[in-house]
Amino acid sequence: MIIYKPKVIVFCCNWCSYAGADLAGTSRLQMPPYFRIIRVMCSSRVRPEWIIRVLRNGLDGVMVLGCHPGDCHYQTGNYFARRRIALTKKFLEYLGVNPKRLQASWVSASEGGKFAELVTEMTHELEKLGPNRLFTDESGGNGTETTP
Amino acid sequence: MTTKKIKKEGIAKLLTEWGQEFTVFVPSREEGVAKWSEWDGKGSGFLDWYRNTVVPPKALFLPPMETMFSFQKEGDGYHTELPPAAEKGWLVFGIRPCDAKALAVLDMTFKDAYQDPYYLTNRQSGLLVGLVCTSPCDSCFCTSLGGGPDDMANVDLMLTQIGDQFLMEAVTDKGSKLMAKTKLAQAATKANETKAKKAKELARSKVTRKIAVDGISEKFRASFEDKDYWEGVSAKCISCGICTFLCPTCYCFNISDELLKKHGERFRSWDSCAFPLYTKMPMENPREEKWRRLRQKVCHKYEFYPYSFEVIACTGCGRCIRLCPVNWDITQVLSNLPDQEQVRLET
Amino acid sequence: MKVGGMEQRLRREAAALLEQGKVDLIIGFADGSLKFTTSPLITSDKDDASRLVINPFIANNLSVFLTGVKGRVGIVAKGCDSRSIVSLLQDNKLAREDVFIIGVPCSGIIDLTKVENLVGRDRDEIDDIVRDGDKVTVTVAGKASEFAARDVLFDNCLACELPTPQEYDLLLGEPTPAADDESKAASQEKINRFKAMSPDERWQFWQNEFSRCIRCYACRNVCPACFCERCFVEEAEPTWVQPIPRWQDNLIFQITRNIHVAGRCTDCGECERACPVNIPLRSLSREMYDIVDGLFSYQAGRDKEAPPLLACYEATDVVDFIR
Repeated sequence: MIIYKPKVIVFCCNWCSYAGADLAGTSRLQMPPYFRIIRVMCSSRVRPEWIIRVLRNGLDGVMVLGCHPGDCHYQTGNYFARRRIALTKKFLEYLGVNPKRLQASWVSASEGGKFAELVTEMTHELEKLGPNRLFTDESGGNGTETTP
Repeated sequence: MTTKKIKKEGIAKLLTEWGQEFTVFVPSREEGVAKWSEWDGKGSGFLDWYRNTVVPPKALFLPPMETMFSFQKEGDGYHTELPPAAEKGWLVFGIRPCDAKALAVLDMTFKDAYQDPYYLTNRQSGLLVGLVCTSPCDSCFCTSLGGGPDDMANVDLMLTQIGDQFLMEAVTDKGSKLMAKTKLAQAATKANETKAKKAKELARSKVTRKIAVDGISEKFRASFEDKDYWEGVSAKCISCGICTFLCPTCYCFNISDELLKKHGERFRSWDSCAFPLYTKMPMENPREEKWRRLRQKVCHKYEFYPYSFEVIACTGCGRCIRLCPVNWDITQVLSNLPDQEQVRLET
Repeated sequence: MKVGGMEQRLRREAAALLEQGKVDLIIGFADGSLKFTTSPLITSDKDDASRLVINPFIANNLSVFLTGVKGRVGIVAKGCDSRSIVSLLQDNKLAREDVFIIGVPCSGIIDLTKVENLVGRDRDEIDDIVRDGDKVTVTVAGKASEFAARDVLFDNCLACELPTPQEYDLLLGEPTPAADDESKAASQEKINRFKAMSPDERWQFWQNEFSRCIRCYACRNVCPACFCERCFVEEAEPTWVQPIPRWQDNLIFQITRNIHVAGRCTDCGECERACPVNIPLRSLSREMYDIVDGLFSYQAGRDKEAPPLLACYEATDVVDFIR
């Protein structure tokens, strides 16, 4: 039974993970339909501002997907992303943000199944966790939606 | 002038009484930071802190963030709504003379070309109950600017601490009426008044930082083109907003709209002329260099405001000196203004 | 060498550097206009060198000025400051030959707030504060009280791993020892209290703290690692962070800022010292410092030849967070 619809933003790199997502779609794999993909050229394009903005705008989770280490279209992008996401995730956890809200993985162009699995699992985990109320504030702060 | 007195323990009751007619604001402390908040109705412990607050009372009338109006899409147009008006007038209790003078200075701007309702409504609906400043800091220089820790000019009612009591003196009609109404205060004796007078004199004598402001506007204008001087004094500034935000007479603000899907709000928030992007425009930024911004800041307070309103926009509260991370000191800058006859700007 | 000796040597050397044209500018500390305060001195005049001081109140991290000046600069640097300079070298914001580092072996800076809390008086009501080894004597109204230095130094000084600059052109005195374990434990007090909270309590804590933030940006401007000409908060298209000082946006500003300076923050503690509303910013920056050290065995500003943290990677980088 769906309690609420966990909205997840999935950043997919253009080369591997977006193709993998595409494959999941063409293979008609069943996935919860509450995620939205934002395609970037490389996983290293993902800035911490984006991750935090997703949470600020009241969405429930962020997933960052890239090519497997060694397979990055730009050789080394995913290595930098790996470092950046690692410390972002630990820092957010230290502040009290549930680590399940920021997840990362490597998805190759042929891993349609893995993509579907990742998205499905994350959605279920966030369902159990409950909606993101981190930035809501009864008195004065508009927490759930900001500039489109 | 009728004077009354009230025991320190009686202040809480007095505030409760006043709280029926007004919303009462007092100094409050959070994590060691003294600022101004609505009185929680509990005690008057704040009377034990004898130093001024970090955040000035201007933050009540010109808050760091303020909703100007909200708007909602309605058919083809928008429906706008003003924020709800305050139910009661505002009584600010315990304001120091420097901050009270600062509000009077701010009034001039907000009454000038446009009567700013957001600032003026609460300013005019209430009153200020001042507290003589018995323990000025070494950064205070109020006496040099025509004021002082005992300056009664800009409050409605003034309290002076004498031992475990406070002498109450009414300054304006509003203050007189308020003082006359309350039964919690008794008539003061001549001895009380003398003690208060001594306390005021003592307070005045404790202000050790002094600057000479006679002809300061002229001196400033004479040094205006001295790039070397201004570069020298501004080199250590880091262009943050501490001095301007915590200054009781600074009032620059930013207006921004926040749009949600079908509705939004327009906000006013504090801005600072010290920020590098303050004067940025599409084609140019006339104050891109730090020394220009600092020169402008001093100019606004000590030359332009006197030119426009015949009063220096500084009341010597010393917050800018105390709280600046690099100890930039406006009194030093003013005292060392180069004595040059080079360029005299046309006035 | 005692502090007095270092000061005399500094004044001589700084004047000589300017006179001989070896530097165009000297950046150091001079007496401030308030008691127990120093203020940055930036000068090209050799006569100003006699105003330079070294005392337990030289708190500022002067390397913040390096990205804004031109020409060759002689800069007074404590251990933490020198690490910031090295970090700037790593980021190519500075050429090594353009900076002449005058190293000050530091034995810790006195936190006036701690002193004020211990004696129950404000700074300007205190007669004198004198440091002698690991004792600090505070005199109020003629009466002297003695405290352990550990109780009055800044928290980040208590955790200092490099009090004596590793990278310098001139070292003014004998190297001072790094903080011992007991001292390091004392420096973590605030952070440990925070870590004892549950995730919800932690978030609530920051919500409260950042409700006081007025977005003065002193924390950012005083930080040598924040040298972007256009900070992310100044972007309007798109607006990453609203300019309005709501706690949500204040917190976001600080979180993002810490991620941006990760690997370049040397825990100099200036952000926390500069904050006018006492937000415990070091509880954020120190934790990021420890995260970076824990994940990548990397400490900012230790090796000027090393690439910056986020501009390199190791094949053995942590992977346990990857699904």
